[in-house]
Amino acid sequence: MKFISLLAATLFVLSAYGQDSTESSSWLSLLKAPLDISVEGHRVDSLITLTTYLIIFFFVIVCIGLFGFSYYYSQKRHPVPLYIDGTSKKHILIVAFIGSLVFVLIDMQITSISNNDYMEVFNKWPDENKEEVVKVEVLGQQWAWNFRYAGADGIFNTEDDVVTLNDLRVPTGKKVVFQITSKDVIHAFSIPNVRLKVDAIPGRITRMWTEFTKPGDYSIACTEMCGTYHYRMQAKLKVYDPNDFANWLAESHSNTKHIVDQENPDIFWGWKWIVTTQN
Amino acid sequence: MAFFEQDIHDEPKTFLSKYIFSFDHKVIGKQFLWYGIFFLGVGGMMALLIRWTLAFPGQAFPVLGPILFPDTNGVVPPDTYAMLFTMHGTIMIFYAITPILIGAFGNYCIPLMIGARDMVFPTLNMLSFWIAVVSGIMLLASLVTPLGAAAGGWTSYPTLSTLLGSPGVGQTLWTLALFVLGVSSTMGAVNYIATIITLRAPGMGYFDMPLTIWGLWLTAILNAIFLPVLGAGLLLLTFDRMFGTTFFLAGAAATSGSGDPILFQHVFWIFGHPEVYILILPAWGIVSDLLSFFARKPAFGAKSTALSMTAITVLSTVVYGHHMYSSQMSPLLTQSFMMLTMTISIPSAVFFANWLGTIWKGALKFDTPMIFSLGVVFVFGLGGLTGLYLATVTTNIYLHGTYFVVGHFHYTMAASVLLGGFAATYFWFPKMFGRMMNEFWGKVHFWLTMLGLNGVFMGMMIVGHAGMHRRIYNPFVYEFLQRLIPLNQFITISALLMGAAQIIFVVNFIHALIKGPKASQNPWNVGTLEWTIPTPAPHYNFKEIPVVKCGPHEFGNPLLKDKDFQYQTEELVKA
Repeated sequence: MKFISLLAATLFVLSAYGQDSTESSSWLSLLKAPLDISVEGHRVDSLITLTTYLIIFFFVIVCIGLFGFSYYYSQKRHPVPLYIDGTSKKHILIVAFIGSLVFVLIDMQITSISNNDYMEVFNKWPDENKEEVVKVEVLGQQWAWNFRYAGADGIFNTEDDVVTLNDLRVPTGKKVVFQITSKDVIHAFSIPNVRLKVDAIPGRITRMWTEFTKPGDYSIACTEMCGTYHYRMQAKLKVYDPNDFANWLAESHSNTKHIVDQENPDIFWGWKWIVTTQN
Repeated sequence: MAFFEQDIHDEPKTFLSKYIFSFDHKVIGKQFLWYGIFFLGVGGMMALLIRWTLAFPGQAFPVLGPILFPDTNGVVPPDTYAMLFTMHGTIMIFYAITPILIGAFGNYCIPLMIGARDMVFPTLNMLSFWIAVVSGIMLLASLVTPLGAAAGGWTSYPTLSTLLGSPGVGQTLWTLALFVLGVSSTMGAVNYIATIITLRAPGMGYFDMPLTIWGLWLTAILNAIFLPVLGAGLLLLTFDRMFGTTFFLAGAAATSGSGDPILFQHVFWIFGHPEVYILILPAWGIVSDLLSFFARKPAFGAKSTALSMTAITVLSTVVYGHHMYSSQMSPLLTQSFMMLTMTISIPSAVFFANWLGTIWKGALKFDTPMIFSLGVVFVFGLGGLTGLYLATVTTNIYLHGTYFVVGHFHYTMAASVLLGGFAATYFWFPKMFGRMMNEFWGKVHFWLTMLGLNGVFMGMMIVGHAGMHRRIYNPFVYEFLQRLIPLNQFITISALLMGAAQIIFVVNFIHALIKGPKASQNPWNVGTLEWTIPTPAPHYNFKEIPVVKCGPHEFGNPLLKDKDFQYQTEELVKA
């Protein structure tokens, strides 16, 4: 009985987690992921919440069986066991039913939702011929993030590129597309606030797109072990209003040094933007 | 059903042939047990150092810290931290769980439970242990090399694990140690498979084998197929490190080469995903048996449990891609792996239903092995279900590389396997050493371990979902993680509790070895073959090779008069 009340309490706590509590100081806020600052991040959050409910439903069933049977069928209360081995048609059907119930109720639900989100949203690259996107090239290295904006001419790897170190600035209201690679070991470009990450792999270019909604200061993390100072591989993310972003970019253009030593891979690391037009 | 006659060998007389270079599967099993428990202690200490660093960054580790790290006044330095979590993972998976569950109980139980006098290949069996010792020495030696041990995580992805990221000889030793251990485990696996196929006692069909043997058998099959895959990957990595090849090197800047670092990830996880089932299958088998033994009731749907385990064994080979969603595979591959991963939950649900069916309307005896088995059902329920977040691609991409993953796989691989291993230890201790372990302290051990491990692993899942990623020395350099400091301290205190609980186990174990009450031939009243012979087992096991006439789970037959179970050598009582 103690266990059932304990479970009820857990259920209560976890159900509070699904709702948007404004009280961030309470310990319940630990059960929440960091603030969502993207247009599509809520899809991940709602799938996690749904999965949590489904899991609780099935785990409670397991616990009712585990603790209930342990209580009622202990040798003291139930000295004579039932002599069955679960091979009757009825029992096989029950077990098969439970198996398919799990598959239909949990697996098919979350798989189709996730598949839909993945194919229709997160992996559906914006068509750059039809809409204007902010393009950023990202280069991971031990232990820092380099960011490159195309500059006034809109072409990467030219003298007017804006290059920053550990300092990513993006606008709201427009899709931002990142093309990512690494200079040395595998890193992972992760923005917890938009629920996305992708590996930065030497020798190939990976991609990520998102659209920011809330201006402010956030963190970018490396989430793939990349050496001793992996934990310090943090970049700052600043999300601007579209106007502020335009001002910052214009100011940065005028501050750009316009020196590109093509022999120095530390400075000259960009690549020709790979235009996505269709999926 | 034996394919050939098994002789009774002469009893070994010298100390060396009896205890060190023994051909006897029972002695080799015990050797693996000591080996595994030693490394379990080493890996556990490393876990405590890791946890201390995460909860109290910049503070000296009490007592041991100043001795181990005099240069930093007892604080774990960042490079050592990376070595600690790398070695913790490697040791726990390959040098603690594998030797205990597969090496010790596999060796000890397989011949006894199928009614054989020894393994088919006793020499191979002995070699398997001593090669594992060589591997263990190589791994420990890497700790004292100039640049320290391997520090690229237990997955050791290139290019970090090539000379570019890890120039030290420690990483080379790590790679070779694992290769050598792979050889040892493959030898053991081949031996198990052959033994189970050829040496089952007359009358014992595959479905008359205890489910423990089923679990060990399927594990051995996976081991024999997939450890060579890891071996190939490790050899190529060694070539990259030592001979300047570029199998895993690519890029145009600091790295250059015509290879591909992602290739190693594929090779690693083709092995790596079956590996997690290699670790858990013996525990599933043991739990399936023990639940029936202590519920005094036939195992519910034993055949479907065995078949579900087989189905999982097959499926485990085609789902590995879910470890690599964040490397941006082709979307078609991603979708396929997500779908295939999901199908694993069907057989899992089947044997969960069977476990609950087994204790339904039983007459449950809560001896220590039983409560550990029930504990496995609880923690594996949590571990298995939380895998769903990681199987679906969109949630995986958020949770990948966070402590949520760490919490999830510790629930399945650490908690479930550890509790299953303890259940097996308490259960077979009487047959192994002829004495009984203390029941009261066994139960104290269970509850403290249970409390500690749920605090640790549940806490890990919560901090992971809140955004804390894994393998970082000091999470609190990230501003948004600073709210997690109290929770991290709670996890560390739980871990210390869990660690302290293991002292109870060790004391109980040693005390029982020396002073425990003498065990009878069949202290648990169980009908499988190992309980038909004297305690402790003689070196030839069975004087007469037994003839099996009924299944391993014959309990509570109402037609039985003087006892509630049947030995497998007795004719099934029917109306």
